[in-house]
Amino acid sequence: VTALTHATMTGMARVLLVEDDEGIRTSLRLALEQEQHTVMEAGSTEEGLELFTAHGADVVLVDLMLPGRDGFECARQLRQRSDVPVIMVTARSDTHDVVAALEAGADDYVTKPFATKELTARIRAVLRRARSAPPAHPVITVGELEIRPDEGVVKLRGDEVALTKTEFRLLCEMAAAPGRVFSRELLLENVWGYDYFGDGRLVDVHIRRLRSKVEPDPQQPRHVVTVRGLGYKIAP
Amino acid sequence: MTVTARHPLARSGLRTRLTLAFGVGGLLLATILAALTYGLTRSYLVRQREGAAIRAARSNAQAVAAGLRGGSPDVPAVLDALGSRTGSETLVLVGDAVFGSEVSTTLTRLPPAFLDRLRSGDAIRQRVDLGSTTYLAVGFPLSGGDTRYVEVFSLAELDRTLRTLSSVLVAAAAITTLGFGLLGFWVSRRVLTPLRDVAAAAGAIAEGRLDTRLDVGPDRDLQPLAGSFNAMADALQRRIERDARFAADVSHELRSPLTTLATSVGVLEANEEQLTDRPRQALRLLARELDRFVRLVEDLLEISRADASASLVLEEVSLDDLVHNAIVRSPYAEVPTALPEAGALVVRADRRRLERVLMNLLDNARSHAGGAVLVSVRRAGDAARLEVDDAGPGVAADERSRVFERFSRGRTGADRSRAGGVGLGLALVAEHVRSQGGRVWVEDRPGGGARFVVELPVVRA
Repeated sequence: VTALTHATMTGMARVLLVEDDEGIRTSLRLALEQEQHTVMEAGSTEEGLELFTAHGADVVLVDLMLPGRDGFECARQLRQRSDVPVIMVTARSDTHDVVAALEAGADDYVTKPFATKELTARIRAVLRRARSAPPAHPVITVGELEIRPDEGVVKLRGDEVALTKTEFRLLCEMAAAPGRVFSRELLLENVWGYDYFGDGRLVDVHIRRLRSKVEPDPQQPRHVVTVRGLGYKIAP
Repeated sequence: MTVTARHPLARSGLRTRLTLAFGVGGLLLATILAALTYGLTRSYLVRQREGAAIRAARSNAQAVAAGLRGGSPDVPAVLDALGSRTGSETLVLVGDAVFGSEVSTTLTRLPPAFLDRLRSGDAIRQRVDLGSTTYLAVGFPLSGGDTRYVEVFSLAELDRTLRTLSSVLVAAAAITTLGFGLLGFWVSRRVLTPLRDVAAAAGAIAEGRLDTRLDVGPDRDLQPLAGSFNAMADALQRRIERDARFAADVSHELRSPLTTLATSVGVLEANEEQLTDRPRQALRLLARELDRFVRLVEDLLEISRADASASLVLEEVSLDDLVHNAIVRSPYAEVPTALPEAGALVVRADRRRLERVLMNLLDNARSHAGGAVLVSVRRAGDAARLEVDDAGPGVAADERSRVFERFSRGRTGADRSRAGGVGLGLALVAEHVRSQGGRVWVEDRPGGGARFVVELPVVRA
């Protein structure tokens, strides 16, 4: 908590790099240190989890193609331990890798080769998301959902639901205006804080993950509804 | 190498030839059968009729002879006693005198040679054709000296029967010929079905469905054809996939070093002010070329994936929204747009690929024509059109399909580095548009410059 507060204050973060290619690791360390971040390096999932358990981190960068236990596994393990923002480094942008990475718990992804400023923009965005409080609303009730943005609590039929920070912000953003249609681009801008780096699949996968938690029947969503061709809305 | 068969009839098609061959065969068979049937039936009927006629004539002759023997040779009375009969006429010749009911008409039916031979004492029969009717004339010498008996039978009924028979046979032959022709048509269809399957499969492969195979089926004669076709398709698919995989693998392997390079150049750029002029220029060159390199590798990967028909994610997309959002989020946010009302045009498309198409067209306009001057979306019949206009030199008519080929460069784009140089952008546009069921072409922009048009079918208005 102290580290996080420190990072919030200064805009700097402790970044954990889990990447087996030494060249990429070193160059990324140089680039991130340039941005005043503190960098920890790990060459494998095991090493990364060990470092995270020992020292914690504000954001974790995980390469998908790791030897042994791969990046999906790493993201899942991290998710089990904490809601630390995870950015996945993938090799391809169009395959199921991206969707699978997001479903494994990653908050965002970048595709190799990426520009340094793209990566640092994403790191800034996930940190902003993790730190800043969502817009203040006392209590929002949608169907069987009860959302308390101030307390960071969501209840489905009275039972508390565990959401990641991104999922929570996504839900709050849409629940603040029930019935309004949110395009993917608008959600990317308001929730992820991206102007032009965004990818609509980020929204789609997070909506899917959100539904699996807040819908009694995720196959037939009643709270988070798709508006064909346009985006999503919260059913009033 | 092409395998050709030259035959005068080859031009008319296998099916026509088979139908024709069957028809001619049927005609021959039917003709022979009909001729045989006619010949046999005719000779049998004629024999029957003649036998009956001779028997009747003989018994009549005996009756006349008996009547004449009775002392009073009243020939007309004897003839009357025979009674009237239809189908034959009777004459009795006594010396030069001729008796009979219709002496004059009957005599004209008899050739002179017949009477001469009769008078010389022979028993004769002869067929006589008179006009349209055939007659059978039978003559006997009667026992009393120079008395002769002649009976002339009309064969009209036999002729009628034979005529009916022949028309029935001709009709049967015609029907048989037609039947054989139809059989030939049907057989050729059956025979050609496997060839049509082969043609359809080859067409499907040519269209990019590389996993198309022929059903080998139980027919032992056709199995070799299907087998060798499938073997060829296997080899072709392996080869194409290997080529595509090779390009993808190479690009993929380049990603890690490129990431390191890009990140390191980023670090250098962040410290540019510490460099003197010379290394700073070198760094800028390095950064620019690296950017080109990265884009080339990305395009190469993308196009090799398009080759391997990688998963297309088709969904209903509002074209105007997509274009608007893509442009405002891109480096081309200042390009003017002409878009219909939000959500007005919905197409089935892959968002990512469609955005890529638009970005590549805008990149192309920047590289070759000093930037796009207008991006518009509008409806054209059942299609949605996305148009990217530039005010550059335009594309010459003979270059218009070539610009969509891989690594093609317009004549004006000789300076590769200035033009951005990568010749895959428009090829990727073409691949992506095609994979989404659309068309892309380039035309003249009214007022000068080029207009790149992407057309996609509209799902709903």
